[in-house]
Amino acid sequence: MSRAWTTIGALAAALILQVAFAPHMEIFGVSPNIPLLVVITLAIVQGPSAGAVAGFAAGLVLDLIGTGPVGAWALVLSVTGYTTGMLQENMFAEGWLAPVTVAVIAGLLADTFYLIVLTVLGVAPAFWESLVSVVLPAAVYNALLVLLIYPWLARFLRSDRSMKSFRRLA
Amino acid sequence: MRIGQPEPKRGNTRLLVVLVALAVILLTLYFREGDSGLLHQARSLTLAASAPIARVGTAITSPVGAAGEFLAGLGTSRERLEALEAQNEELRARLAELEEARQENERLRALVDFAEESNLATLGARVIGRPASTWEGAITIDRGSEDGVEAGMPVMAAQGLVGQVATVSPRAATVRLITDQQSGVAGMVQSSRVLGIVRGSISGALSLDFVDRAQVPKAGDVVITSGLGGVYPKGIVVGDVTSVEDHRGELYPRIALTSRVPIGRIEEVLVLVGSGVGEVTGEIE
Repeated sequence: MSRAWTTIGALAAALILQVAFAPHMEIFGVSPNIPLLVVITLAIVQGPSAGAVAGFAAGLVLDLIGTGPVGAWALVLSVTGYTTGMLQENMFAEGWLAPVTVAVIAGLLADTFYLIVLTVLGVAPAFWESLVSVVLPAAVYNALLVLLIYPWLARFLRSDRSMKSFRRLA
Repeated sequence: MRIGQPEPKRGNTRLLVVLVALAVILLTLYFREGDSGLLHQARSLTLAASAPIARVGTAITSPVGAAGEFLAGLGTSRERLEALEAQNEELRARLAELEEARQENERLRALVDFAEESNLATLGARVIGRPASTWEGAITIDRGSEDGVEAGMPVMAAQGLVGQVATVSPRAATVRLITDQQSGVAGMVQSSRVLGIVRGSISGALSLDFVDRAQVPKAGDVVITSGLGGVYPKGIVVGDVTSVEDHRGELYPRIALTSRVPIGRIEEVLVLVGSGVGEVTGEIE
């Protein structure tokens, strides 16, 4: 029960930070996607099912905050959460490299998938321009932020065992 | 004894299918319902809840932004300062000429009893939130339905057109910027009166599309709203033409624009709430 509340608290904090501070953290035209970072971390430490549910909830709120089609981020983040959890569980890499690799791949996949969803819905911007000017810079930005916040966030979200170092988190 | 291959772990696929189906249902509902539909109302409620958070974020980060601008301004060269002073003088002279023309225009309008197009009721608003996602070009303002703001109303700044109200809550509204990829404004080149559509893009760049190849504008031409379509009043400055590429193999020339409004740093805007002052309850400026 406490883990559920911790998860809800982390997602709520991520959404508040997204509204209040993410727009002011813009670098090279892209802002960080803080709920995405939390969903990725959740999926890595709690598994694909928790990642998918958290992704759906965070995505739905993200949809309602924005001006795009409602349901698009919910779809993207639930699939991202699930895929991230599956990648983490089935990856053969060990040590700190595994979660970092998974997080970078998930960040890249999320924005690419969102672009594909918008394209399918017929409300997409120019595909290649979006890929170059949004998807790739956002993936790099989010990956760097994941590296920064993952050790602390993972420790906060995973209550089943104590973690003292980044290596043990992996 | 054989050591078997580790079995790949499987997640709860059924759960994922349910969530994906729910998201698809939401998307279908969103596109099928009208502006008063359930999801649009939910968005309005979310805006009401998130506007104070956005306001706090802007208040906290504005000193940091101001300090950054100050530090950036320290590097302004003497040459640039002199160029700006010369430009200022030139603009003052131009302003005097235009004032003369404005007064003449007023007299002529009065003579023919012409409808005064610029006599639109405007409502001042502060920008309290910036785009929450890289994919969207929208700002949040501190005026809402209680002040008479409605979805679809044009929004402008002193330098020109800013966008259109997209979502309204009682005390806040979201404005879709003209630079947003989903925006489209009926525009017109001021000098030649050639019509086109001003469109935004994911990178925030503006372009003037569907312009007749026989009357291609040149760099420096001003683009204003044409008034066609009935969304934006005629004559609001949209931007300046910065480059024109006219290739023989293409149907229309590629015309790039730059908005005069510093959209990333804008702090106050005017909402065009209608042509009648009595229609609104908020403060009219």
